[in-house]
Amino acid sequence: MGIDPRVAGAQRYSVDLERPGMLHAAFVRSPHPHARVLAVDASGVPSDCVTLLPDDVQDLHLYGCQVRDEPVLTPLARHAGDIVAAVAAPTAEAAKAAARLLDVRYEELPAVFDPVQAVSPGTPLIHPDGALSAGEAVSIGVRPLAGTNVCHRFRLVHGDLTAGFGEADVVVQQAFRTPGAAHAPMEPHAAVAEWEDGRLTIWTGTQTPFNLRGDLAVAFGLEEERVRIIAIPMGGSFGAKTFVRHEAPLAALARKAGRPVKVVLDRTEEFVTLNRHPSVIRVRLGAKRDGTLVAKELDCWVDTGAYADCGPGVATKLGYAGVGPYRIPHVRVDALAIYTNLPPNGAFRGYGAMQSIWASERTMDVLAERLEMSPLELRRKNLLRDGDVFATGEVMHDVQFERCLQAAADAVDYERDPRGKGLCVLLKGMQTPSRAAISVERAGVGYVIRSAACEMGQGVRRSLQLMGAQMLGCEPGQIDVPEPDTDTSPFDTRTTSSRSTHMMGRALEVAVRDLRASGGERGYGEVHNEGGLDPDTGQGVASTHWHQGAAAAHVTVDEETGKLTIEHLHGVAYAGRVVNREGAELQNEGSMIMGLGTALFEAIEFADGQVTNANLSDYNLPAIGDLPKRFTHELIEREGAEVHGLGETVLPPVPAAIGNALFSLGLELHELPMSAERVLAAVDARDARAAAADSAPEARVPVAVDGQGLSG
Amino acid sequence: MKLALELNGRPTELECEPDEMLLEVLRREGLGSVRATCGIGVCGACTVLVDGEPLSGCLTLAPKVEGREVTTVEGLAGADPVQRAFIEAHGFQCGWCTPGFVLTAKALLAENPQPSEAEIAEAFGGNLCRCGSYVKIVDAVRRAAGEPAGAR
Repeated sequence: MGIDPRVAGAQRYSVDLERPGMLHAAFVRSPHPHARVLAVDASGVPSDCVTLLPDDVQDLHLYGCQVRDEPVLTPLARHAGDIVAAVAAPTAEAAKAAARLLDVRYEELPAVFDPVQAVSPGTPLIHPDGALSAGEAVSIGVRPLAGTNVCHRFRLVHGDLTAGFGEADVVVQQAFRTPGAAHAPMEPHAAVAEWEDGRLTIWTGTQTPFNLRGDLAVAFGLEEERVRIIAIPMGGSFGAKTFVRHEAPLAALARKAGRPVKVVLDRTEEFVTLNRHPSVIRVRLGAKRDGTLVAKELDCWVDTGAYADCGPGVATKLGYAGVGPYRIPHVRVDALAIYTNLPPNGAFRGYGAMQSIWASERTMDVLAERLEMSPLELRRKNLLRDGDVFATGEVMHDVQFERCLQAAADAVDYERDPRGKGLCVLLKGMQTPSRAAISVERAGVGYVIRSAACEMGQGVRRSLQLMGAQMLGCEPGQIDVPEPDTDTSPFDTRTTSSRSTHMMGRALEVAVRDLRASGGERGYGEVHNEGGLDPDTGQGVASTHWHQGAAAAHVTVDEETGKLTIEHLHGVAYAGRVVNREGAELQNEGSMIMGLGTALFEAIEFADGQVTNANLSDYNLPAIGDLPKRFTHELIEREGAEVHGLGETVLPPVPAAIGNALFSLGLELHELPMSAERVLAAVDARDARAAAADSAPEARVPVAVDGQGLSG
Repeated sequence: MKLALELNGRPTELECEPDEMLLEVLRREGLGSVRATCGIGVCGACTVLVDGEPLSGCLTLAPKVEGREVTTVEGLAGADPVQRAFIEAHGFQCGWCTPGFVLTAKALLAENPQPSEAEIAEAFGGNLCRCGSYVKIVDAVRRAAGEPAGAR
């Protein structure tokens, strides 16, 4: 075995793809956030270029993984950066130059950039025909609200909320905001599309080859078998490379050109391709005097941008994860996925969980203060335990929340001195329902394991080799794991929601048994996890196994400047059983570091719908120097437990743990990121409150959300 | 124009435009470890060593390296102790940024064989890893410096 190609510099990604006779593409993007395309004049484009214009896509269909609302080329730009035309040329530089020569005339339309405003009466509709049909990837019932910008409403009803608040001795209410964020994988989106005899092949970095195949088949009116996706290892993704992104206009351009066409997006284009959902979340939480939680209400405005993408799924997960890992007899959640004229927002490591956990776990500390109780004790008193019923009606099993929380608290010595320290404990689910299949073939001195589990740096190929070696009794190096190819890899729902090691590990056990039982050359295994939530009641099966974790932060603040120093950050993930030790550690560390960026400085800034920090200088990513003074984590295991996913678990709790650490110092932050400016404003607000309290003590006034919302 | 340099230990003559960036010229030579990423010299994924000093290929005009020694990770041939340390420490995930970290670490250790943690952080100020492999990258540098492995 040679050196790992990633360290040798020999790893190849989508940007490195070459096909004979290949042209290079550039996209023509709307400069306006909401505008009708009136005319496209391509007469200035050189004759050796191929243009893709609105007339060329008349026969194509709307596509979308959960709502079919996205055209291959749009006649109506719904965000700055929406693709209205495309050009192919012999070189990438020539394509970019030609794209600038395409003259597009627009009629600008009124636009909306805030999810709360977007559901106010009289707001322009971004998809006036409504959110119509669903794509193949949908595992949830999509509930658009006709005549509004709401493409999905998720509600959860458990118990009797009014009665619950009636029983409460103390009620706290608070609204929180999170901004859009960039996945910013180091590798930009890139792909090659090629047609042969009416059959489309795309080589691309994707986490979702089978969803991509299905959605492109819809867009091009083809049988799924007429589309082939070869999933190239990714230079990072974090949710950015899911469902259809750049591939649809690229495929249409290749069809027109009659030759393979490649595209590599610019860094600027990355910021208008897919981002994290901005959100506004209002929490109302009631408890008995002794700290027993009795009622919780969550209203969530989830900004899915110009197209739904998986916004309905994100709003759903955000909604139930916001209930938290607690026994609460009366719960109501109302989460709206809302269209705005921002670039589309989609899956982002944690899939909405961070946003609602930030809001909910911050509120727990507000409640603890009102009850004059330790935040640790308040949580411990209410945590779900084995056999308890969650708000979705699910009976909890393999519950480790208390162990995770205690481990986090102990790491920062919370019980001895909680000042400057904050905790967060979380529950999140795995994609349910879903299906995973895998095959094992004998090959020479070893085996070939085929699956559609996509490699993006998380080490899924290594995990399959390690699990396979153990089950087959060989060395990991004797197992070949080829890249996913929808023509040859068995079906898998997708490589998301920390599900691959759990689901593929189970499927692999079945496949190895099949190989042995048949005595043949090939074994096949397939597993399903059944379930799903009713979108109107939130009852059902949110997840067949739970991602459980916690974080603790210890901070100090320079009150003159607002500069925040993280003295110690500790993350805890329940692993069940660790398959790949170093890989699991890297997932924990990477999640926490991404969580630090979210907590402290990452935000996409917009002015009138235009991204104003679309580069890696103005949009900061965490560097080594941003690591906390102490940075630790642990993986909790249990004898005999199944493998639990952990690729995202310790990202969502980081912002709330830091926010609660600030709250212990009297600093109330309700909006991410917790920049020095915001910390300083919180210092001033605390001092102003103290001064006012000296003259006239009064109760704290909750911050209300602007606008009316729809959740009555 | 013609560009004469020592590329990965071999005297080499390349074609380039006077206003072309080194990144483009090296990729055209098939050196795929030099990766266009941020385009503005902040992420370090196109780092190359020029006379041993780490520079961003996206900000370095190709004609500026005339007559100089240019090293990419391909030139280390997998035999370098720093590369071995990255493998042992598992200091990478997707691998996109790894060549830049390896070369920056090489330059650091050549100048400062026993860097402190602060010096390591400073040296990597211009290298970003979105996967967040930093803890194990620091561990890799310590291993390459001959220190025993240890958690932060």
